[in-house]
Amino acid sequence: MQHDEKENNILTRRTLLKGAALGLAGITIPLDRANASLWESFFQKHFREMNEAEIKKVIGRLEREYEEKYKKTITIGIEKPLPGVLFGYGLDLSRCIGCRRCVYACVDENNQSLDPQIHWITVLRFKKGEKWVSLEESEKYYNPETVPQEDYFYMPVQCQQCENPPCVRSCPTQATWKDPDGIVVIDYNWCIGCRYCMAACPYGARRFNWAAPNRPSEKINPKTHYLGNRPRYKGVVEKCTFCVQRTRNGRYPACVEACPVGARKFGNLLDPESEMRYLIKHKRVFRLKEDLNTNPKFYYFFAYGN
Amino acid sequence: MVQIITNFFIALRQIAVGDKKYYAWVSFLSFLILLGASAYIGQLNRGLIITAMRDQVSWGFYISNFTFLVGVAAAAVLLVIPAYLYHFKPIKEIVLFGELLAISAITMCILFIMVDMGQPLRVWHILPAIGAMNFPASLLAWDVVVLNGYLAINSIIAFYVLYRLSIGKDYKMSVIGPLIILSIPWAVSIHTVTAFLYNGLSARPFWNASILAPRFLASAFCSGPAIMLLLFQIIRKLSEVEIDNKAIFKIAELIAYAMGINLFLLGAEIFKEFYSGSIHAEPMKYLYFGLHGHNKLVPWTWFATILNISAFFLFLFPKTRENFTTLNMACAFVITGVYIEKGMGLIIPGFIPDTLGEIYEYTPTMQEIIIAVGIWASGALLYTFLLKLAIPVYTGKLRFFSKAQMVTALDIMSRRLVTVLPDTPADEVARLLMAKHLSDAAVVDQNNKLIGTVSETDIISLEVGQSTGKKASEIMSSPAVTITEDRKIQELGKILAHVKASSMYVLNRDGQPVGSVSSGDILKALENIRKE
Repeated sequence: MQHDEKENNILTRRTLLKGAALGLAGITIPLDRANASLWESFFQKHFREMNEAEIKKVIGRLEREYEEKYKKTITIGIEKPLPGVLFGYGLDLSRCIGCRRCVYACVDENNQSLDPQIHWITVLRFKKGEKWVSLEESEKYYNPETVPQEDYFYMPVQCQQCENPPCVRSCPTQATWKDPDGIVVIDYNWCIGCRYCMAACPYGARRFNWAAPNRPSEKINPKTHYLGNRPRYKGVVEKCTFCVQRTRNGRYPACVEACPVGARKFGNLLDPESEMRYLIKHKRVFRLKEDLNTNPKFYYFFAYGN
Repeated sequence: MVQIITNFFIALRQIAVGDKKYYAWVSFLSFLILLGASAYIGQLNRGLIITAMRDQVSWGFYISNFTFLVGVAAAAVLLVIPAYLYHFKPIKEIVLFGELLAISAITMCILFIMVDMGQPLRVWHILPAIGAMNFPASLLAWDVVVLNGYLAINSIIAFYVLYRLSIGKDYKMSVIGPLIILSIPWAVSIHTVTAFLYNGLSARPFWNASILAPRFLASAFCSGPAIMLLLFQIIRKLSEVEIDNKAIFKIAELIAYAMGINLFLLGAEIFKEFYSGSIHAEPMKYLYFGLHGHNKLVPWTWFATILNISAFFLFLFPKTRENFTTLNMACAFVITGVYIEKGMGLIIPGFIPDTLGEIYEYTPTMQEIIIAVGIWASGALLYTFLLKLAIPVYTGKLRFFSKAQMVTALDIMSRRLVTVLPDTPADEVARLLMAKHLSDAAVVDQNNKLIGTVSETDIISLEVGQSTGKKASEIMSSPAVTITEDRKIQELGKILAHVKASSMYVLNRDGQPVGSVSSGDILKALENIRKE
């Protein structure tokens, strides 16, 4: 009798411990993933370490996971960089009116979280007629009735796709790297969320998912790229990729298309006939924080002066 | 194997059993750890959004604590140098406790990094081979290497010394000497690499100053030893460990020099920033005077500055550093001062203003603080357990089970015996003893069981004429001094001393004599064990 009681006690204690362990595992492992793919997800290899068959399998699993979560079909492309292409971006400060249409076009194209709100593009507002232009004097949260405002000018900032990117150097796990077409990308399934890249970036371009990203299913852009706009996870870093899902298919980035005043230019720096090469040759261009030798491929310029 | 398991249980028992004060302390720490763990589970569920960190200030309280603790861990070296290299004996005896502190501090460092990670389950991605460690490009990868290496080196040194002491032997310098030599540059390296981690970022002018690594080392050599000074006084009070005042005052003197250098380097940095007055001085302005009306860190910064300067003078003058009231005050000042200066005071201004000029003021949330307290409690608990184990080993009260203890009478006895039957004539016994050069003979019965002994003196004490005709049984002393063959070597000495004999017969299970053990045999065996 006593023996039985003891055994029962042990059993209950064991079940209890088991339950606690399961509970803990449930908490630590993202709940938005199906149990079956949990281990596959945990042991997923680095994107660049996988062969084509492995990538295909991972893409299949991720697409299933996204479908389950968002109840719609989301395709994940893995388009590779095109040979002979090095992307560059031009931004005409004399044209920008600070309307932030680029910001919201980017949010919709790239499936950014609405709550907490994530923007890959920051538009800074500067007062005209100040003694000097200093970033510290700029305003990020300006909110007037209409733009442009008489006494101000605007400067959008996003990932500058540096040729010598400090973020890539700093990443301890090689989760972010520069592809041959010059785009700095992130493997969201490899990033450990240490945020060293954010400390290293001189342009405030990187965003962290402080909470699980939140975006209603109907607002999800279903055409995605593995290294670009596919939905992200809690605890990983993201940033502008020059719309890798578009530009590797010969299209313009969403921000370029959205700009109502044509302040945004995009093209292949290796093509002497490209718009980018033309403006670098003929306009007064500068790049942000050139003294840091990051060598950005994001050129600010003034098409006309006023 | 049996030895390892037995020792594991000896160690476990040592940690698990204590007095009321000990249980109260352990429960208190466990309570804090549980609080921290539950807050951390909340963080795992909801994400790092429960902290006050945001994109503008992307590192905060966790990384601040991490940085401070790397300094504490590195400071163990300050004790190692004089202790092992210059044989300054008073410090040498306590260096072990410093190394155990380094082990606890590094463990806390690793925990602070873990709780700061957005995807802690992916931590294996940082490892070489199975992960994709970005070595040598990423300074964070370097930090992983040097911190884990430091943990390994200190663990090996500390546990080797403890193990040798626990089995009653002295440690061999030929074994740990090279490791100790290695640990000195390695300690410098953990703090240098951690400084470079920030130093190497051109995006953050506040950190991007070459003076950062020297400043890190100087401040580490203040706070780390100050923590040890307080701990040593506690250890001395609560245990039988004797820590010489000379050692304490020597360490206090070293802190004074380190603090002098620290203040000098800080002054050099402040001069450069404010005199040149470039845009790079903004974070420093934020730290000391506030920027555009944002000044949450300002009172803390001045508080730390005043503490550090006061502590410097308290440590500098022999009168105040050799008085325990002012000494302990100075220690508390230095620990608090450096904790602020090298914690929040170093990390937060790196992000303020941010790279696009925005000012986001950071104050840790309650959950962040609770998680941090939980980690500090884990470190304190680990150190408590390590001390609970190390102190009795150190004072010789706790001995581990070892092969040396397995040595029995059977292993060390002399097998040369003269055995005679009870009716053997005394002169025959004398002849046998002389032939074998032995001083006594065992008298056994028909079954070869020992019933007594006849020694040379027993025979000599009879007058020559009387000896003829006497039998062994008539002149023997009985009962003889005997032990069983499975008696451990440690017991033999005590038995010999107790019975005031110079040798004993060793009996097998059937009570038959198989050999004898003399005090000389025991001495020789102990000497052999020591030599191993």
